[in-house]
Amino acid sequence: MLLLDWRFRLFFWRDAAAAALVTLAGTAFLLLWDAAGIAAGIFLHGASAIATGVMLGPEMPLEEPVFLVFLVLCTMVLYTGAARLLSRRARRRPKAGSGS
Amino acid sequence: MSYPLVAGAFLALAAGAGLLLARRAGAALSWPAVALAGAALILLTAVFDSLMIAAGLFSYAPDLVAGPRIGLAPIEDFAYPIAAVLALPALWALLTRPGGASMGRLLRHAWVASRPVSWVNTAFPFAAAMLLTTREIDWLLVVGTIYYLVPYNLAMYGINDVFDYPSDVRNPRKGGIEGALLPPEYHRPMVWLAAATNAPFLLILLVSGDALSAAAIALSTFALVAYSAPGLRFKERPLLDSITSSTHFVSPALVGLALAGARFDSGLVLVLLAFFVWGLAAHAFGAVQDILPDREAGIGSIATVIGARRTVRLALLLWIAAGAIMLAVPWPGPLAALVALPYLLNCLPYANVSDADSARTNRAWRRFILLNYFSGFLVTLTMILFWSISS
Repeated sequence: MLLLDWRFRLFFWRDAAAAALVTLAGTAFLLLWDAAGIAAGIFLHGASAIATGVMLGPEMPLEEPVFLVFLVLCTMVLYTGAARLLSRRARRRPKAGSGS
Repeated sequence: MSYPLVAGAFLALAAGAGLLLARRAGAALSWPAVALAGAALILLTAVFDSLMIAAGLFSYAPDLVAGPRIGLAPIEDFAYPIAAVLALPALWALLTRPGGASMGRLLRHAWVASRPVSWVNTAFPFAAAMLLTTREIDWLLVVGTIYYLVPYNLAMYGINDVFDYPSDVRNPRKGGIEGALLPPEYHRPMVWLAAATNAPFLLILLVSGDALSAAAIALSTFALVAYSAPGLRFKERPLLDSITSSTHFVSPALVGLALAGARFDSGLVLVLLAFFVWGLAAHAFGAVQDILPDREAGIGSIATVIGARRTVRLALLLWIAAGAIMLAVPWPGPLAALVALPYLLNCLPYANVSDADSARTNRAWRRFILLNYFSGFLVTLTMILFWSISS
């Protein structure tokens, strides 16, 4: 995802400060969501062999915030990428129509 | 509470925020791109969620999920990508919209505005109070310390810089470690940044505590806003200005103690009182150097009202009082009374300063900022001694 971001200057490589704010806000919101789920007893941490085993809180493994950051990054690279493609297509179409 | 309820509530929150942000972002947000990204995310979620659940990374309490699954993922899990795609592109579009304030410059202003040299002054009282009570570092202590280290100071000084602009423009010492001179186009974004960084932390601290900690948090947040926000402007009400300022530093300790479930015996109350009196003195003395620019801007403070000389003398008396109170605290509390001495020595040469000469006290104020680190060191040693005696 970061490679795509870097190659096409979509998110962090377009406006690092705004991207940092979006990432921070998104991750904080999703962490609160997780915390609410954990407090309600919905999410249970699995004792998987591939997990780091590092726990940040009850039922909250180290992987969770990392995963949430990744979700935010995915969302933003997909959105900015899609917006780039759509605007490029929209710019090309009137040109083709005018026959120039 | 069941998973559909939790997911529904957070999804509604994200969608509401997204719509509000989208309205303000206007044409900067591309809805077709939101739809495309959303479709791709839902597909990715179906695949990777199923893989992670199959790998046994996490599971769900079976009686709390609605039932329908896509792949192995409960249908509620799809609220995450949908919420993300509804809110985040809108936020991004608003932050990067053409003609808007540059976020890079806002963050640089926020860095200066939050007074990094003073961060520790609010984080330390919280962390020390909580650690000395619970004797362990848990996630709540970490979250609270991060809050009182950065977002709290951003709110306190950021709001102050926004609404003090008329005075700060006239003050030659602004623009460095003692505060930013914030350009007007960054005023609104700064207030938003302060609100957005404070809200999640306050929410966590509120739900993690009881009625007492909630009251302490309410007091702390009220003091934060009331000091410089228009309408309240406690910083322009002599005496109330010093009381509010001191609350800024004592209330984090109060929150830490309440969250940790401390027993408020007479020794603890005296320590808090001494700290509060020390804070009163610090604020009053700090106001002396600004008498002339404040008067010019029509801003009142304890020092503009009672004058430079009397304010300095009041500060001296308050520092003596703070030291005297510490003498009444059980051992090793009286050791901390020594901390008052360097402040008295620093301030004493200005006991006769005139209003016209009041800007001279800035030299002592600069020494005061350094002294705080030295005092912090002495207080920490006293606390370690207390820890080893009482454990």
